[in-house]
Amino acid sequence: MGRRSLKRLIELFVNDETHEVAVEPQTTLLEALRDHLGLTGTKEACGTGECGSCTVLVEGKPILSCLALAVDYENQHILTIEGLSEGEELTPVQQAFVEHGAIQCGFCTPGMVLSTTALLSENPSPTQEEIRKALEGHLCRCTGYNKILDAVNMAAKKRIGMLE
Amino acid sequence: MKKAAELLKEYGSRAQIAAGGTDLYPRMKYGLLRPEVVISLKGLPVKSPTTGGEGELHLDAFMTLADLVRSPVALERAPLLAEAALNVASNQIRHMATLGGNLCLETRCTYYNQSHTYQFVEPCFKRNGDRCYLIPKGKKCQAVFMADTVPALICLDAKLEIQSDTDSRQLAVADFYTGDPLSPIALSEGELVSKVIIPRSAPIQGSGFAKFSLRGGMEFGALTVAVILDGKEGGRACGKARIAVGSVSAKPVRAVKAEMALKGEKPSDKLLREVAKKIASEVRPVMHHGYSVPFLRACLEVLAYRTLAKAAGGIGKD
Repeated sequence: MGRRSLKRLIELFVNDETHEVAVEPQTTLLEALRDHLGLTGTKEACGTGECGSCTVLVEGKPILSCLALAVDYENQHILTIEGLSEGEELTPVQQAFVEHGAIQCGFCTPGMVLSTTALLSENPSPTQEEIRKALEGHLCRCTGYNKILDAVNMAAKKRIGMLE
Repeated sequence: MKKAAELLKEYGSRAQIAAGGTDLYPRMKYGLLRPEVVISLKGLPVKSPTTGGEGELHLDAFMTLADLVRSPVALERAPLLAEAALNVASNQIRHMATLGGNLCLETRCTYYNQSHTYQFVEPCFKRNGDRCYLIPKGKKCQAVFMADTVPALICLDAKLEIQSDTDSRQLAVADFYTGDPLSPIALSEGELVSKVIIPRSAPIQGSGFAKFSLRGGMEFGALTVAVILDGKEGGRACGKARIAVGSVSAKPVRAVKAEMALKGEKPSDKLLREVAKKIASEVRPVMHHGYSVPFLRACLEVLAYRTLAKAAGGIGKD
């Protein structure tokens, strides 16, 4: 049985800009971001919700865009890694990841940075356990977890003014 | 909600409900399900937790697990459930997945929904075939129900409100599971879970929850244990005890003999160790996650002791 095309036009509010996108009902938010809007900073790895590479923030909360349908996220504030910094200016979280070398291949980094951003805006001084809990859904196959944890700790301190 | 139930009735078995979608969409991506219609419940308004006339806690089945974990009412009235919810999957999934969705989780096994490769071989029992890859000469499906919140809800004596297009009914969480790995939940066509109702708890109560999984987070439980002990005589002895174990078979089970051994007794360390042993011999885990049955039994005894000790601490064990 051939599949009918059920494309419809939706509005996605991504990184403070409204975009009109023609998607099918089964188009994932990840596909809409990467293939329709060219925002390839959001990565696809497992595609089944196990690795966290496709994490984006919706209304400030981390979700997995590979398990989200684009049509379900109309008119919600979506933040991808491209919308995080203001121009050339890195956020404290991004800067901390750079300074600690918390990046090897970089594939998990956009998700890690976004989850850290969400964590620190909700809980500016997280405990080590809270940091691990917030990042447990992110796999880094270079296994550079210690540097990532160091970076999150540094970013937390920077944000609340404990570090220059 | 009613509209969703009407649509569900209209499309029957051709439709699937997606609340958070975190269990359904991976199965669709694996090619295990090809529903003609997916009814997404994402747009439905979600009610905040409330307390009813008899002090019972009402939770909207469509609240996300992340909202449940943060709800001050839920944390105060059902800390065991909040702890269990915090153990589900990852932070991102908890922001998408719903309480009702966790209740309606599909059963899992190493082959059925955890490996692409097995989609290209003759189908197993779970996929309407005639064989089992987990136990090669097995006569039936051995898929396991692995939702973390359910053992906690069973201990809390929770009920579900189930909605159809015409009416609603209530069912105890413990009766919601059929024990059949092929069709694990007792929902008829056109029905969906709309609410979870938790009765008022005893004045003195202690609870404990533990989950065993290889990686800690981001994984289905290989075992989950939930315990609630009511205290009597000012906390010196146990009143009613409820012990539920998940990820052992197609439905979570109560350890009834172990519960009886605690009733009316002083929860001494010696007794708790004996009861933990009883739980491990009473509950019969199915081999899964690559773990053998003797390993799961040994592991269960350890988890059971830890949760019992925590619960006993909550009622003021000396």
